[in-house]
Amino acid sequence: MPQDSAIFKIQRYDPEVDTLPYFTTYNVSLRKGMTVLDGLLDILDQQDGSLAFRASCRGAVCGSDSMYINGAFRLACNTAIVPLLPREITINPLPYMRIVKDLVVDMDPFWTAYERIKPYLINPETAPERERYQSPKDRKHIDEMLDCILCASCYSSCPMVWSDSEFLGPAAFLKAYRFVGDSRDQGQRERIKAVGHENGVWRCHTVFNCTEACPKKINVTWSIEALKRRSIVNRLKFWQR
Amino acid sequence: MIRTAKTRERNLNTPLWPANYRTGMWAWTFHRISGLALSGYLIMHIIVISSSTAGSQGVNFDKLLSQLTQPFFLALDLLLWAAVLYHTLNGIRVLLFDAGIGVRNQKVVFWGFMAVAVLAWIAGLVLIFPFIMGRPPVRA
Repeated sequence: MPQDSAIFKIQRYDPEVDTLPYFTTYNVSLRKGMTVLDGLLDILDQQDGSLAFRASCRGAVCGSDSMYINGAFRLACNTAIVPLLPREITINPLPYMRIVKDLVVDMDPFWTAYERIKPYLINPETAPERERYQSPKDRKHIDEMLDCILCASCYSSCPMVWSDSEFLGPAAFLKAYRFVGDSRDQGQRERIKAVGHENGVWRCHTVFNCTEACPKKINVTWSIEALKRRSIVNRLKFWQR
Repeated sequence: MIRTAKTRERNLNTPLWPANYRTGMWAWTFHRISGLALSGYLIMHIIVISSSTAGSQGVNFDKLLSQLTQPFFLALDLLLWAAVLYHTLNGIRVLLFDAGIGVRNQKVVFWGFMAVAVLAWIAGLVLIFPFIMGRPPVRA
């Protein structure tokens, strides 16, 4: 007989009140096709209005509700409850990030790193009247990187991010390659400069945690390795310095 | 709400808990451990070898070496062989990724290299086993 309720064990922490994080357990009655986010919204609605978490689109597009659920990085909206049963559903905020409240973490370091790689088109040429043309083949090359929704799962999963606050983190590198590999972009040199240093791609130890964490199944490590090679080639081109 | 415990519970729902490790994280962890072990071995090795200059006519060194070829130390050599194999082969694996080879098949590459490591370790075991048992093969 299918279970008609699930146990949610959620880490709570309000830095203004609590000295340490603690777990609160909720019993959520199940409806057909429920996701973890549906469960959280039910708890907020019916059981505990003080629970804090981020969520916006409910469709795995905005990347707001990435959490650490039952030993894996998942988007709450994209995670069905039934396959996780009969275990209780343990939810932690993104690990190793400063907790603002409960499941809400401080994303500032993530966005600061993202800003450093200049995540916008750099092309001094005047834009053509209709569009900057890109062949389907060139477009396909950056397909994977475009899927990133900036949920910070990879950032939070990376042991180098845990140990080095200056490290830019996997998401920034992925987005850097999204532009470096884009045939319409001409900012390659500045971006490679922004990532090709000690706290950039060279801090990466190829642990593959980012790739494992990505809820969009992007191979983040591939982009980081591609940037490492670009960085070397850039360093060797002494006549361009 | 069932209960609210205001104590710090043991939190195993973290990527640092080994049950949540994936292949790449294990590979990296063991790479670190084997690296530290090899550094420690290297220091010991330098101390042992440099002791050959102490004493007259290398007598002390001969004594030391005869100690180090006792079965116990030969068995330890098998551990060293395992650390060397793991660190070398996983190092090559990471270098291949840097060269852009196999990044998308990292788990297959890992287990492939581990298969090589196991075979090479068994070869080492076969070679050293007679010495551990105190029956060195007779040389012609």
